[in-house]
Amino acid sequence: MEGAKPGHRYEMVNVCPGYVMVEHEVFSKEQRSYFSAEAIAPVEEFREGPKIWKFSGMAQSFQFDIRDGETGEVTKYDDLLGLVPYSGCREDSDLHRLGELAQAEKVWIYIAVTFRPLEASRQDAWLATLRILNRYFGERLTTPNKKVLILPDYFGLYKEFSHGQIMADFGLTSMEA
Amino acid sequence: MTTKELAERLELKGLTRLFDKTVSGVYISDMVSDVIANAKAGNVLVTLQVHNNVIAAANLVDVSAIVITRGRTLPPEAVVLAEKAEIPVFMTNMDSWQVATKLYEAGVR
Repeated sequence: MEGAKPGHRYEMVNVCPGYVMVEHEVFSKEQRSYFSAEAIAPVEEFREGPKIWKFSGMAQSFQFDIRDGETGEVTKYDDLLGLVPYSGCREDSDLHRLGELAQAEKVWIYIAVTFRPLEASRQDAWLATLRILNRYFGERLTTPNKKVLILPDYFGLYKEFSHGQIMADFGLTSMEA
Repeated sequence: MTTKELAERLELKGLTRLFDKTVSGVYISDMVSDVIANAKAGNVLVTLQVHNNVIAAANLVDVSAIVITRGRTLPPEAVVLAEKAEIPVFMTNMDSWQVATKLYEAGVR
């Protein structure tokens, strides 16, 4: 894990390797995803009340916390499914256009997608959580004038699971060039 | 060492424009999740992944360069992304172990 160095206030701790699991419900076709820290990815079909969930896909990923070296406070990111770079979105999308605009000023936008939409009551706390994540990545940048901006998912990216998100290795072990 | 010196020393082929940057350290990984968790700013990332996601992950952690191994090459959209990020990407026919050995011999720690 990336530890805190002199000049770095934040460090990534409690890094836990695992899998992002994607499932669909047999009758409604509802899709959901979650993180599993099991040594062997849980791919078995299972029943949850009247619902039957079946495995759709998986990828190696990780979960982590960020520790504030000044206060000792640890912020958890269990809700975070992944980070989608603006460049991973459709070129005709608002997010891509915003991303291009920002990138021209050396600001790189990534969207923090959660496993499920957060309740309204948790939105403010999530913003505070992302503020810390921005500080963690931001304090490590050494390229002059470059900024990384991790935004909450105001774009509905959680609705459709994206292989453009970069915290999980979906299909990247393919030998296709 | 700079990325330009690195490319000359290891006889790497440039897949993007050359952005001359200072290299500090090496990270070898073929998993973007691992790159995000463990690569450091200024590192040379050695990988055989050529997906756009590798460029996005490398950009997030601010690596200085990417070396693609085993003769693989970038798709055009990844080249565009790398150049926007001003991350020089090189290619070599060597495997990751050979590249690591060469980097070590060149004094990169």
